[in-house]
Amino acid sequence: MTFDPRFAAEVVDACAAVIVVLGVLLVATRSIGRSIWMVALQSAFVGLAALAVGLATGAGHLAFGGLLAIGAKGIVVPLVLGSILRRSSVRRERHMLLGPRTLLVAAVVIVFASAAAADGVTSGASVATSRVLPAAISQVLMGLLIVMTRRKALSLVVGLLVFENGITLTAFSLSYGMPLVVELGVLFDVMIVVVVAWVYARRMLDVFGSTSTDEMRSLRG
Amino acid sequence: MTELLVILVVGAPAVAGLATWFADARRAPWLALAGLGPAITAGIALAVMVFASGPLHAFDGLVAIDAFGAYMLVLVLVVAGIALAGSPDHLASEEHAGALRPHDTGRYYALLLWFVAGLAAVPLVDNLGIVWVGIEAATIVSALLVGFSRTPQAIEAAWKYLILGSIGIGFALLGTLLVYASSVGVMGETSDALNWTRLVEIAPRLDPAFVRLAFIFALTGYGTKAGLAPFHTWLPDAHSQAPSPISAMLSGGALAVSLYALARFHLVAVGNLGPAFSSTLLVVFGLLSLAVALPFIVAQGDLKRLLAYSSIEHLGLATLALGFGGQLALLGFTLHLACHGLVKSTAFLAAGRLVAERGSRRIGRLGGSLARSPTDGRALLVAALLLAGLPPSGIFVAELAILFGGFQAGWGLASAAAALVLALTLAGLLFHIVRVSVGPGRSRRHEGAHEIAYDSAHAAPRTAPRIAPSRRSAGRAILLATPLTLVVIAGLWTPSPIAAAFDQVVMVLGGGRG
Repeated sequence: MTFDPRFAAEVVDACAAVIVVLGVLLVATRSIGRSIWMVALQSAFVGLAALAVGLATGAGHLAFGGLLAIGAKGIVVPLVLGSILRRSSVRRERHMLLGPRTLLVAAVVIVFASAAAADGVTSGASVATSRVLPAAISQVLMGLLIVMTRRKALSLVVGLLVFENGITLTAFSLSYGMPLVVELGVLFDVMIVVVVAWVYARRMLDVFGSTSTDEMRSLRG
Repeated sequence: MTELLVILVVGAPAVAGLATWFADARRAPWLALAGLGPAITAGIALAVMVFASGPLHAFDGLVAIDAFGAYMLVLVLVVAGIALAGSPDHLASEEHAGALRPHDTGRYYALLLWFVAGLAAVPLVDNLGIVWVGIEAATIVSALLVGFSRTPQAIEAAWKYLILGSIGIGFALLGTLLVYASSVGVMGETSDALNWTRLVEIAPRLDPAFVRLAFIFALTGYGTKAGLAPFHTWLPDAHSQAPSPISAMLSGGALAVSLYALARFHLVAVGNLGPAFSSTLLVVFGLLSLAVALPFIVAQGDLKRLLAYSSIEHLGLATLALGFGGQLALLGFTLHLACHGLVKSTAFLAAGRLVAERGSRRIGRLGGSLARSPTDGRALLVAALLLAGLPPSGIFVAELAILFGGFQAGWGLASAAAALVLALTLAGLLFHIVRVSVGPGRSRRHEGAHEIAYDSAHAAPRTAPRIAPSRRSAGRAILLATPLTLVVIAGLWTPSPIAAAFDQVVMVLGGGRG
């Protein structure tokens, strides 16, 4: 099956736009449930962009990796995270380091800064992905911002996933992804991070009675 | 032949781990031995082949083992052997304290095996991407081991380790893919575009802007995993809260493997940018780690944290040596990492035992260990003296080599600063170890308010498992004495095959083909 490259380029650009918008919303939201499905959707769009380019260029490993990412990070991960959320009584980030409005401004600043930073980077990949690099950089930074400002275990995992989406997208925009073995390995690692986070979130619920990392301040010095 | 041995090194522990997960407490250690024994044997066989007849390649460019890789492989497997041998005692004391659940034993050994498999894969593969995958997989598996005891502190440490480790190593992935992007530009989209053997060859033709950025990201990422300051904050928590054999594996094995990955990036960066850029960064972060560890060692009150900060110090020194470069400093690096692996793993096993017997990790409450538990008390004393850098020991020789090598390579000021910090650290470490060995041991009545207050706040007062002092066991004495003796001997005499092997490692690190 071949795909019109120009159409693929449009699909990729649209995906990049959706990914950035979801990233901004993820940075600003307090609702943990909403952030779980938004990050799943974002991951699915990252996979979709890879799939489109894979089909257009005939790069089978890209298409395959994209499909796998949609399945793993778009479906399995939110189910796992959702199951923790149902056990936990905390559904919202009450005390973020910055308020939602400040965070929204920060996210917008990140979007423009990323565009400026990516300007002038000569990419090894074709024109079809030249607009992806700014989106990719912005998601790496937004992931870090989420991790820095949140306190609940689930939100930290969400931040980690946004960060990881940014890295995947960077890989994809600079060099059409990495060799398939590496992509599969990375995907595998992301899955086990989520599973281990699930294990520890359950233990936190057992031991501390919540998944808030505020409880965890005994180790110093 | 090479293929078979490689499969044994990684596959045997991985598969044995599956069986061990479901095994009962009696069979699990034997299954673990059945997985790790062949792996260690095969790993040593591979190393002998490499040192005797040059680098090995297998699986169509997926596997490449040079002298540095062979050295790292043996180091990891030997430390894993020490950790495995120390595990039955540790689990027995946990069981005695009632802290072990029915399936815990099998799972502990299974996770330990997978941890080893992940780490052992790293020095074997020729692909920087798979190097990353191996280190990250080992990190995540070991996060489950760090929180194994399920105390609130252990969960906190494991959580920090998981999140900070994943973020940190995410940067290493960025670094890896920047290298890939620049090498695809040179070589085209081939499957060996991430092979470090190829990358070192084509390094001069890579885009310097990409390589510079890639090295910075790799330094952040693998530096986090190697415990370099200022990315080290997870390390004292994780290494002190983990079960002691796991602490041994983390400090002796995992840190060294992370430094291995960083060294591969360093070699590519040197090939591309010349030695100045990445060497300077390594020296700066090495010195910073030494300096940051110092006050925490001097003012430390917790025995296992003391050992963890000592790991930061020693890995800082190794990083410094890597940055210095030059024959002498690199020889010091090689000797130092190996000796540190042996001594630190032994130190953690002994410390873990003392802590379990006395029910406290506070240095002030562990006094008189030499009289109370002769075997472990003596082992900890000797290990601490070696870690402090007192002669005769391999560590002492290695430190001298690194410092002189630094002067030789024109890093006089950095060497002098490192020497000063090492001397101060020595004083701090000696002070604490003398207190633990012959200091006054306090009775339970006087134990501090901190732990009690903490225990009453949470429902699980399992911070203080107290078990009967150990009977003298010849097996345990041999387990603890052997690595320490080897390191002492290394300070006096190096057998010529080992010396030749180290020379080959230095050749690779110096940018030659080993």
